[in-house]
Amino acid sequence: MNKPRYDVGHLCMLIGLVGFTLWYLSDAIRVSFTVPNLLLILPVAVAILILALAELVMSWRGGKLFEVVDDEPVREILPIILLFAAYVLSLPWLGFDLGTILFVAIFLRMKKETNWYLVIGYSVGFGLAIALFFALMLPYPMPMTFLPID
Amino acid sequence: MIDVAASASALSMLVSSLTPWLIVIPGIIIGLIFGATPGLQISMAMAIFLPMTLYMDFLQAMLFLTAIFTGGSFGSGIPAILMNIPGTSSAIATAFDGYPMAKQGKHNEALGIALASSVFGVLVGYLILFMMIQPISLMVLKLGPSEMFMVILWGMTLIASLRGEYVLKGLIAGLVGLLIGTIGFNEIGMARGTLGSFYLFDGIPVIPAMMGMFAASELFRIANKQFIVENKASRKVELRKIAQGCKMAFQSPLVMLRGCLVGVFVGAVPGVGSSVSNLLSYVETKRRDPDPDSFGKGNPKGIVASESANSTSEAGSMATLLALGIPGGGATAVMLAAFAMHNITGGPQFIREQTDIVYAIIFANFAQVFFLMILGLLFIPLLANIIKVPMRYLIPTVLVLAVMGSFGLTGNFVGPFTVLAFAVIGWLMRRYGYSVPAAVIGILLGAMAEKTLLHTYQISGGDISYLLERPATLAIIGLLLLSLFGRHLLALMRFSMHKMSSAKN
Repeated sequence: MNKPRYDVGHLCMLIGLVGFTLWYLSDAIRVSFTVPNLLLILPVAVAILILALAELVMSWRGGKLFEVVDDEPVREILPIILLFAAYVLSLPWLGFDLGTILFVAIFLRMKKETNWYLVIGYSVGFGLAIALFFALMLPYPMPMTFLPID
Repeated sequence: MIDVAASASALSMLVSSLTPWLIVIPGIIIGLIFGATPGLQISMAMAIFLPMTLYMDFLQAMLFLTAIFTGGSFGSGIPAILMNIPGTSSAIATAFDGYPMAKQGKHNEALGIALASSVFGVLVGYLILFMMIQPISLMVLKLGPSEMFMVILWGMTLIASLRGEYVLKGLIAGLVGLLIGTIGFNEIGMARGTLGSFYLFDGIPVIPAMMGMFAASELFRIANKQFIVENKASRKVELRKIAQGCKMAFQSPLVMLRGCLVGVFVGAVPGVGSSVSNLLSYVETKRRDPDPDSFGKGNPKGIVASESANSTSEAGSMATLLALGIPGGGATAVMLAAFAMHNITGGPQFIREQTDIVYAIIFANFAQVFFLMILGLLFIPLLANIIKVPMRYLIPTVLVLAVMGSFGLTGNFVGPFTVLAFAVIGWLMRRYGYSVPAAVIGILLGAMAEKTLLHTYQISGGDISYLLERPATLAIIGLLLLSLFGRHLLALMRFSMHKMSSAKN
């Protein structure tokens, strides 16, 4: 498989950070254009913009702006990130017990754990035990499917 | 000034009965468990067990709570070393070198170093507290927002020193972190960057953000590995190596002592405390070391610096609590509640009238140090077995712990969502060479920096000459400049002296 010749990630990351800074500064100015409100935010935001410009120029001149980063297998990492995102975002509906059991079981299968007894045993055992532990220790209710909420 | 009669009375209180000691061991174990479990805070443990102190007398209650505090301050370093998750913000710098050491198969030594540094830190901290409780409390009284801002600014200079490979990217990451740290309502009631969501009114929850950036993003990166330590022989848990680690900690006595001094004085500053002291101590050690580039790659001195400072901070925050009745952080705030439950008010009058009780608390902490050493040595081999767990089991386990722990911290789904968002941000930052520790420090200090800067502005009326009237502020500025340029100044002086002597010859 051919490796990509350039990576726009560096540029996108820089644009993302500058974009956040500009949005946050404009939001702070919109709330109140006064010294107490902007005392820290304005100088910090200006410093970020100057540094980002310097970084852009230097990495462009150094030929690093589109340098390919190939020290990690993104194709294998992205499904894990997506699985983790699905786990976290589904917790309010699935509850901590069922959500955790499914997350751990799918993760083990993704990582090629072939022993089904281990997959089911560990995901159910760990999922229920950890959910119960936190439910008992924390002073507020945790959403659950099987275990009691309080 | 030491009151000899009160010391004798305190000693007799402690040795006349076994009862006060019965609650110390359970206290340390509770602290160790809560500190070592990501997401469970020391202050949470103290709050949960606070009602139990109703059935104890005041001294016993304080011994129990300080035992939890002591156990927890060491316990939080364990996940920092083994999983790259600092149990609390006071163990951030422990992860910088502790986790790389664990990845190199030196987890036993790293845990031993952390234990010895913590034990020594608690001992020295309470020794300083015993001798200097009154001067420390007077010093804290003189600190205003301008001094606190300077201490935070000192902490923020870390951003520049944690740059790693890319200077500009490190600074950008740190400053963006600072902005993120100011999201939410500020002191004058302005809500910025909340997108209209009331969940963000209190700002971004720092510890879940830290869990996401440090732990989850790192776990994504190493998801393809079979074990944290690939070499099977290096995965062994050996008490002998843990003991070796304890010895290694004492091979850097200056680092340890500097950590203790930074810890006790910065720890005494309310609101700043151990969160900043471990970072300050770490950066000072790195700056003064002949091989600063080895830090962040598994240098044992990094663990010594961080753990000695965060453990000593306990004594610093106790100084503020006992002498002024001001809690320095969550843990001492719970202790203040214990004071109230026993109808006791901390402050100069308390120190004057109940000196024997104050000394008894301090002496009991000397003894707790030995309990911590023994219990730590018993617990570490159990916990170090994490290194033997295959990554396909460890990764989902740690991610679940981070998610549930973050729910525990916020009490709603803001915590888990924050872990997720910052895990992705952290992964992208690592991938493109932006310093994750710098961003985390920025997030941690952002709100504090803005609050103290605003208070300074309000008090001074915007007149910068106000700073010239504050000798303590000037002293801290001096220290800050010295820590930034001291080395260069020394090199310049040496160079000019060398030039002069060669001109004479």
